[in-house]
Amino acid sequence: MLEDALEHLVQGIVDHPGDVHVRRRSFGRGPVLEVRVHPDDLGKVIGRGGRTARALRTVIGALNSGRGVRVDFIDVDEAR
Amino acid sequence: MTDLNPTLDQPTEPISSDEAVEPAEPAEAAAESGAEGPAERRSTRLARLEREGDIAADYLEGLLDIADLDGDIDMDIEGDRAAVSIVGGDLGQLVGREGAVLEALQELTRLAVHRETGERSRLMLDVDGYRAARRAQLSALGREAAERVLGSGEPLALEPMNPFERKVVHDAIAAAGCVSESEGEEPNRYVVVRPA
Repeated sequence: MLEDALEHLVQGIVDHPGDVHVRRRSFGRGPVLEVRVHPDDLGKVIGRGGRTARALRTVIGALNSGRGVRVDFIDVDEAR
Repeated sequence: MTDLNPTLDQPTEPISSDEAVEPAEPAEAAAESGAEGPAERRSTRLARLEREGDIAADYLEGLLDIADLDGDIDMDIEGDRAAVSIVGGDLGQLVGREGAVLEALQELTRLAVHRETGERSRLMLDVDGYRAARRAQLSALGREAAERVLGSGEPLALEPMNPFERKVVHDAIAAAGCVSESEGEEPNRYVVVRPA
């Protein structure tokens, strides 16, 4: 559910929604959500001073019963 | 909501926060419609705000569906802003501590509107009346602070607040006959009340 929610939230704010992919990776301490976006959209999902990234983490954390979720943003060029 | 689809070609001024001065009314619609200027301008503005509400509702409904949360979306126009409210009854997680989640969700919703319209949105989001209740509380706080300052003649600094909260407090202080300004840097920006 968290992946789908994050994908929806990000797709709604970027110029290339088709290039948004969220992958869940589990490490020892809870889930890590890895968001891949089009290179032109990376600035948009991070926002001025990291504001948008923070808002996304806040909402996703709330949907995870208030337990923080690590959310990493990378652009598709960086992805293997 | 109506299904109007206005042309969105008015320039807007960047607004850095909810405290910012109201943007000037766009003049183009009036120029196009001649004698019916003000009425036409008003209907264009309303159509633009209704469209903001529609875009926001789609974005938020999608989220509610995915998160399996029960909630209805109410849309309204308050002054010169679209006002969108999620009403459900068990949506505390979308408000969060001191409204932090609500602020985050409002920010994302404004970005979603901006993506569609190309214009900066000042849409207000509420969840289960949280903001309305908070507004009443903050108005009372502003009024009381102004009364204390009028009594003592001394300036008074309030607790740090977010832009929405400061705006409500500034308005209440002005109505009570004092002056106020914000000092400090976000997120620790706070209101200082002074005698007029």
